[in-house]
Amino acid sequence: MLKIENLSATVGEGEAAKTIINGLSLKVPAGEVHAIMGPNGAGKSTLSYVLTGREGYEVTGGGATLDGADILAMDPEERAAAGLFLSFQYPVEIPGVPVMTFVRTAMNAQRKKRGEPEISAPDYLKKSRDVAKMLNLDADMLKRPVNVGFSGGEKKRLEIYQMMMLEPRFMVLDETDSGLDIDALRTVADGVNALRAPERGMLVITHYQRLLDHIKPDKVHVLAKGRIIKTGGPELAHRLEKEGYDGVLAEAV
Amino acid sequence: MSIALKDLIRNPSVAELELVARYAALKADPRRERLFEAFALTGLPHRRNEEWRWSDFKAAVGALEASATPPAQDPLASDGVATLKLTPQGYVAPVSLPPGLRLLPKDDVQAMSGAEDAPLGALAAALSGAKNAPATLMAEVTGETPVRLHMVFSGPGAINAARIVFLVRPGAELQVSESHLGGAAFSTALIEYTLQPGARLDRVVYQRGGKGEAQAITALIHQEADAETKQTVLAFGARVSRIETRLVHHETGSRATLNAAYLAGDGYHVDFTSHVRHGARACVTRQVTKGAVVDGGRGVFQGKFHVPRNTGQQTDASMQHNALLLEDGAEVFAKPELEILADDVQCAHGNTSGQLDAAQLFYLRQRGIPLVQARALLTEAFIAQALEEAGVHDEALRAQAQAWLSEV
Amino acid sequence: MMDCCGGIEEHDDDCADVKVKEGIDAKTVEAAKRLESENYSAGFITDIEMDMAPIGLSEDTVRFISAKKNEPEWLLEWRLEAYRRWLTMEEPSWARVHYPKIDFQAYYYYAAPKAGAKYKSIDDVPREILEAYEKLGIPLREAEVLLGVEGAADTAAAAREKPRVAVDAVFDSVSVATTFREELKKAGVIFMSISEAVHEHPELVKKYLGSVVPTSDNFYATLNSAVFSDGSFVYIPKGVRCPMELSTYFRMNAENTGQFERTLIIADEAAYVSYLEGCTAPMRDENQLHAAVVELVALDDAEIKYSTVQNWWPGDEEGKGGIFNFVTKRGDCRGARSKISWTQVETGSAVTWKYPSCILRGDDSVGEFYSIAVTNGRQQADTGTKMIHLGKRTRSRIISKGISAGKSDNTYRGLVSIHKKAEGARNFTQCDSLLIGDRCGAHTVPYIENRRADAQLEHEATTTKLSEDQLFYVRQRGIAEEQAVALLVNGFVREVLQELPMEFAVEAQKLLEVSLEGSVG
Repeated sequence: MLKIENLSATVGEGEAAKTIINGLSLKVPAGEVHAIMGPNGAGKSTLSYVLTGREGYEVTGGGATLDGADILAMDPEERAAAGLFLSFQYPVEIPGVPVMTFVRTAMNAQRKKRGEPEISAPDYLKKSRDVAKMLNLDADMLKRPVNVGFSGGEKKRLEIYQMMMLEPRFMVLDETDSGLDIDALRTVADGVNALRAPERGMLVITHYQRLLDHIKPDKVHVLAKGRIIKTGGPELAHRLEKEGYDGVLAEAV
Repeated sequence: MSIALKDLIRNPSVAELELVARYAALKADPRRERLFEAFALTGLPHRRNEEWRWSDFKAAVGALEASATPPAQDPLASDGVATLKLTPQGYVAPVSLPPGLRLLPKDDVQAMSGAEDAPLGALAAALSGAKNAPATLMAEVTGETPVRLHMVFSGPGAINAARIVFLVRPGAELQVSESHLGGAAFSTALIEYTLQPGARLDRVVYQRGGKGEAQAITALIHQEADAETKQTVLAFGARVSRIETRLVHHETGSRATLNAAYLAGDGYHVDFTSHVRHGARACVTRQVTKGAVVDGGRGVFQGKFHVPRNTGQQTDASMQHNALLLEDGAEVFAKPELEILADDVQCAHGNTSGQLDAAQLFYLRQRGIPLVQARALLTEAFIAQALEEAGVHDEALRAQAQAWLSEV
Repeated sequence: MMDCCGGIEEHDDDCADVKVKEGIDAKTVEAAKRLESENYSAGFITDIEMDMAPIGLSEDTVRFISAKKNEPEWLLEWRLEAYRRWLTMEEPSWARVHYPKIDFQAYYYYAAPKAGAKYKSIDDVPREILEAYEKLGIPLREAEVLLGVEGAADTAAAAREKPRVAVDAVFDSVSVATTFREELKKAGVIFMSISEAVHEHPELVKKYLGSVVPTSDNFYATLNSAVFSDGSFVYIPKGVRCPMELSTYFRMNAENTGQFERTLIIADEAAYVSYLEGCTAPMRDENQLHAAVVELVALDDAEIKYSTVQNWWPGDEEGKGGIFNFVTKRGDCRGARSKISWTQVETGSAVTWKYPSCILRGDDSVGEFYSIAVTNGRQQADTGTKMIHLGKRTRSRIISKGISAGKSDNTYRGLVSIHKKAEGARNFTQCDSLLIGDRCGAHTVPYIENRRADAQLEHEATTTKLSEDQLFYVRQRGIAEEQAVALLVNGFVREVLQELPMEFAVEAQKLLEVSLEGSVG
């Protein structure tokens, strides 16, 4: 499904460019959930931005494919239409654009690109109601501008709402647990788990183990200095929690 | 006419000489003479006049010939609302006016204080009112039910000068929409509103002039105790255009919301100028202006809050101007100004100009919305924020903005 | 020194209900207490014999000044041309300042201590002048005397744990002494009075003088070009980081004099210099005129940091006397990646008219303006900056803090202009005004011109009074009202104080407290 090979990327321009991803390789087969853990500054968020095509990040080597398609050559919206979804660590506020308008526009744009018909208004509303109910989202919230005046927890729930509405094939969750209390964490995790399916893959980026209690990963990778330095099962996350990054990092060198 | 009048304008242009001639042809009246003198101090304002540095009327108004541009369509026209048409020849009022509205054509009316600070407003007043010129209209608004009125300023002619004076009685409410559609080579309108205690004014202005036209719209708004104004303007500009609002809070509890959006295309110029005087304790002003400009267009925003000594205590005033330069070659000039002489105040202004926020654009694209569509969506939402208070006209104004944005 | 600035370093204040302004602590209050009686401590008059030009201004005055300085012919011509142009110019009237019409014929345009313009050694400087500077806390003599012994300066300076500062002192019209010259020379740095530089480095002076502020620039700058008396000249050669802070101290002493100094600083490629300027004048009933010109040139990769603490006599409470301060300061970021940073603390002068500016010509160049302007009594200040973005990816930052008290008026006036070729330019501006009392005024007049779609400009301004809640909170903790005000004001200006070199920050902090005395109650 997602295949990253020897990927290197820099942030910044010209002389100020800094290599953040440095020869990273990773495979997430369809149906699996992989976690990426790492200390601050390891390059976790950079990886999510490089995969989704944010400006200001330059790929200097290697590649990444989703079901064999070279995603790095695509525009951000093409990657989204190809099924790649990023749940942002810091969701962006968009004044003046109501959630409903936004998500429906996105959904139809993606469908159009894939040659599918637009969703009808009643179908959309029904789906939206179901998803909102599951995530405990107030219907009123969906009429408000995207993320404007939302609390940290509301923003994260809205990310999951969008994810469930758009039904992507591959999801990158960037620190989705930050800013959530225990109840909100469970709601969010339920939403994510509901999307687990044999044809979907998922990359969960997190600093702490606690999210992985709710979203059980098949594999855990440790990211440091821009590359994967260790891979293991869910037990690796527990070890990191207990021993801290220092011990594991030292061992890997 | 006093003999020195002609000499008052320094190095007069052809158009200025013609304005002097037109004024001279009117019946003399000391009230209008004072106003013409106020105009003559600057003449047609130009970039060396500090308040007009980015909006040069003198350069833009050549000879006063009839404009070749037909007036724009009026999106605010609606059924069931009394419509008042103002043209270079005079005005057309409906036979039956809504209850609570009385129209009184007058030869000459003393202009409100403040007219002399707006040279083109003063000119409008100096050129209207006499027998052989468009009359000055006075309108009195009374009653318990809101009065709705739509005014259209347009029509072919060399010069279109109009002046209307509204007196909104205590507790009365006026919902007025104004369409300034051009059609004349040079037009200037002066609209005066006095809001007596507890009166309300909802003012929606739509301006769209031709590429070869010069257009000035000056509003003077005087507010007494607990009066409230909500103003929304959507402007597309002209070769040069100025939309100026001079508002005075005279008594405590007066409130004003002044919102505006401008969209300046290639060859168009839009100038928003506002001057708000907090002449009484505890008055509130909220101002939001949004603009989008393309290559060859120019947007100007000049906002000023003036808080006088003693009387302006407990002023609460904020001003925001945000502009998008959609293409290189666009120009946005801003001067958000505060003049504060009282200490117990909360005053703030913010000004931004540039392009759409990169983080927002990326967010939309990550959800699969193509770049062009994402830009349009964000720009529309950006402009729409200034139109939210337009009440029943919100949709019509948004549609106009959308249509313009989809073309650029 | 460090103690007084402690408050600048540690500030985190998470007081539950009422937030105390950042950056202030009890030591600040103590400092304020100590200064309570000082008021304008620089207001003494030094009694020495002066050599003056005849009163008034004419071509002869210009020739007199030029002759006194034994100037080359080209410079005399340059001055005369400026003078003739000045005659055709009108005094600007757009600033929000009001003052009686200046009679330019009632001033002396040249005043120098009799003993001779420049002294061979510091021992020749009249005792009165040295004493005058000592009263101001300028360690002229001390430093130079110590320098007499090789290496002694380092030890002495280290012992005092003070950053070393090379000082050029200008007394009325002439530079009287420059310290640390030898040491600077070793580093290749030229630091001398501009009169000397005219003779010793004519090629540099000729190349750069008037290249940033042309003789035709504005009324006061043109006047300065005609009659400038002295000032400092600095040249930092390629790749040199100036080993110490450079400083000029301006002292206006003689009666009815105008001071027209001219400063020229050139940082060659990849050079760095931090330059400090301080000003004082005695208390006199008449208005004294100060019309300086400062020109900065930064070539590729060079950086100039220019800091001013201006404490000219502001006049008495009724507005009598005080300095008219009409100054043109401009920096030219001529080279790519160059940087010019202006920091100013303006507490003095009766009338201030001053807009230190940056021309961001070089690609990727950076301009900064950090300002604190305090007005009290009947002072009027109209000050701000201009950031002219010409080069690609140029960036500018403006932080202005205005504090008005008494019956004063304080105006921020600024221009940010993005030109057509300034691809990707950025500006951030923050203008905050604080009002203390209801007889003063605070005004903000920014001009923002954008001609690039890919530029990003952000401007924010606020005007507020000193918060009653904060004031009460501080007083409830036992701090007297006046000190409480000082505390809060220090918090308000903290962002700018941080930009000053340590020594100046302390001085500035004291000045703020003194300037605001008597502003409440």
